[in-house]
Amino acid sequence: MISLKRRKFTPDRQTRAAIWFLLPSMVTLCLFVFWPIVDSFWLSFRHWNLMEAGREFIGFNNYRVLMQDERFWNSVYNTVYYTFGTVPLCIVASLGLALLCNAALRGLSVFKAIYFLPVITSFAVISIVWGFLMDPDIGLLTYYLNKIGLNMPDMLRSTTWAMPAVILVAIWKNVGFNLVILLAGLQGIPVSLYEAAKLDGANAFQRFWSVTLPSLRHTLLFVVIISVISSFQVFDQVYVMTRGGPLNTTETIVYYIYHQGFELLDMGYASSMAWLLFMVVFLITIVQLRLFRFDQTD
Amino acid sequence: MIRTMSKTRKPWIAALALLLLVSTLLAACNNKGKSDEEVTLTFWNGFTGPDRPAYEAMVNEFMKAHPKIKIEMDIQPWDTLLAKLPTSLVSGKGPDIAAFNASLIPQYAKAGNILPLEDLYSSKDIDQSVLPPSLVKQMQFDGKFFGAPANFATLMMYYNKDLFKAAGLDPEKPPATWDEWKDAILKTTKSEGSDKQYGLVIGDHATIPNWPILIWGGGGDITSADGKSSLLADSKTIAAVKFWSDLVINDGISPVNLTGAEADKLFLSSKAAMSVTGPWMTPGFTAAGLNYAVAPIPVGPGGPVTLADSVALVGGKNTKHKEAVFEFMKFWNSKEQQITLSVQSGFPPARTDLANDPGLKKNAFAAQFATVANDARFYLGGQEQASKIDNDLFIPAIQTITNKKGSVEDVLKDADKKLNDLLQGK
Repeated sequence: MISLKRRKFTPDRQTRAAIWFLLPSMVTLCLFVFWPIVDSFWLSFRHWNLMEAGREFIGFNNYRVLMQDERFWNSVYNTVYYTFGTVPLCIVASLGLALLCNAALRGLSVFKAIYFLPVITSFAVISIVWGFLMDPDIGLLTYYLNKIGLNMPDMLRSTTWAMPAVILVAIWKNVGFNLVILLAGLQGIPVSLYEAAKLDGANAFQRFWSVTLPSLRHTLLFVVIISVISSFQVFDQVYVMTRGGPLNTTETIVYYIYHQGFELLDMGYASSMAWLLFMVVFLITIVQLRLFRFDQTD
Repeated sequence: MIRTMSKTRKPWIAALALLLLVSTLLAACNNKGKSDEEVTLTFWNGFTGPDRPAYEAMVNEFMKAHPKIKIEMDIQPWDTLLAKLPTSLVSGKGPDIAAFNASLIPQYAKAGNILPLEDLYSSKDIDQSVLPPSLVKQMQFDGKFFGAPANFATLMMYYNKDLFKAAGLDPEKPPATWDEWKDAILKTTKSEGSDKQYGLVIGDHATIPNWPILIWGGGGDITSADGKSSLLADSKTIAAVKFWSDLVINDGISPVNLTGAEADKLFLSSKAAMSVTGPWMTPGFTAAGLNYAVAPIPVGPGGPVTLADSVALVGGKNTKHKEAVFEFMKFWNSKEQQITLSVQSGFPPARTDLANDPGLKKNAFAAQFATVANDARFYLGGQEQASKIDNDLFIPAIQTITNKKGSVEDVLKDADKKLNDLLQGK
């Protein structure tokens, strides 16, 4: 009894002020983020179509149907394709640019601003602009490429080229974000390491391989994880550029969730997909964290 | 120093933050407590096209005639509206009036999300005997009225007169049969070189349906007349799809995987000679200075046919102003308003008693689109799962064929089986 009394929470003045400051966002977060997440878990075990009454409990049925849904697996394939298409290329490109920026003595902030501009532009806007650029009939890019003899395929309407087009735009947009983070990482590497390596006779490539890369490990890990997670959640540019088409060749998992949930209004089924996606992303993150930890102990 | 400052300032700021939070919440809940007789109706619709001003003018007209009723329009893209509407209705909110494609009425009516409108029709506020018969059926579910026509559209063949002339065709004599049509399409198609041109642009997804018209024209259909079984594997359906997919694949008369908006854009930029679409495009094409005309869809072996399409006005189930909602629907369907709307938008009126009205003649297009009303059919009319059939079965089937991922027979037979399963509730 006495211990209970002693454990009573008596915040000091500063903590109390902090609580009041936190309260508005905590309330909104709980109401609009945490609660829906919990609720969707509950929903994933129910049959709930917005157009039908009742939310019948059906156990794992949604998940069972999902396992046999060809279109779901198609969306998984597309998402993996997208992830492998964007993440490695984007990281290599941004690392290259970061190294260049790091070497640049003048105008660094200008370059940073240029590369960062696409990041802060909304994906919807970017997708519309690129859609226009790549339009086979009135596109600027198509026009000039045709002029110099490169016959551009009808990218966004081709079952083969639509996904590469989406990937290209994603890379263009995300390079800036990775660049800024990697640049910060690069600038945090002590100059003494490079000086020591130089004294040992290491050439530029060796310095990059043995000093820069290992020192950047944590930054790279962060960039990889963030990129993979956001790739698995790709939606905006698919929605604007291709609507998952042609013939579902760019339909990603989140787009399919949207289709089931908000076009066919099957909320239960859509929730089960969302939770499956959550678990996959969770697993991938754990695996990635583990992989990089191995490096550290070796 | 810092301590004293924090003592004096922070509670103030915290109190301010709290005040801000509370006032936002209050503002959100404050649903106007005054109870004079003024009524505000919310009206969700997707009239974002070039015909938007016509609808806005009509709503203003209504408010002028009914000073006690205020209409707050929320105009948003159709797909946004359709994603938001069910959620808001189910959670006890939503607009007083909504507009959406009439093919969705069965789905909403069955779930009880929209108001039954039997009273509106039985009181003759809307006289069903002056509505086109196919439209009457489209406004009903299970024999009961749930929708009032917001507009009625038929589709016609738009053709670019300049491109016709350039190809040696008579711009005053548009093709009238499938043979003439094919000939004109092939003559206006330039599939070689950098200056491509398409004879007929056929949208296959996110579009006002084009392919069903071509299938009907060949005498085929998607479902049987009672809507209970599939006709996708019917020999006439297969023959029609073969005829057109062959032109698309081998002669390049149209790009594949085309949306309706893309088809419109191609026609607008004179890169397509013909396009099948509704009256909503006339204001935009005319404003762009395009030299074009419209003609009935050329007649195929299945006889004259075109697509009918209608946006319906429905009442949200949570409305507290049923009378005002009914008043609005009645006003919308009155003779005067239908004529005004037709003249401004090019749509044919949703009433059959106005065909010879002198007022209608002010818009030649409206009169033209009205002439094909008798041959017009609704796509998947009365089907509860219309959008699922279209999105998950019909569109993929057509795209699989035009993308050369399967033969016409195989794909349609497979789709036929799936459609029968769906219709039988499997």
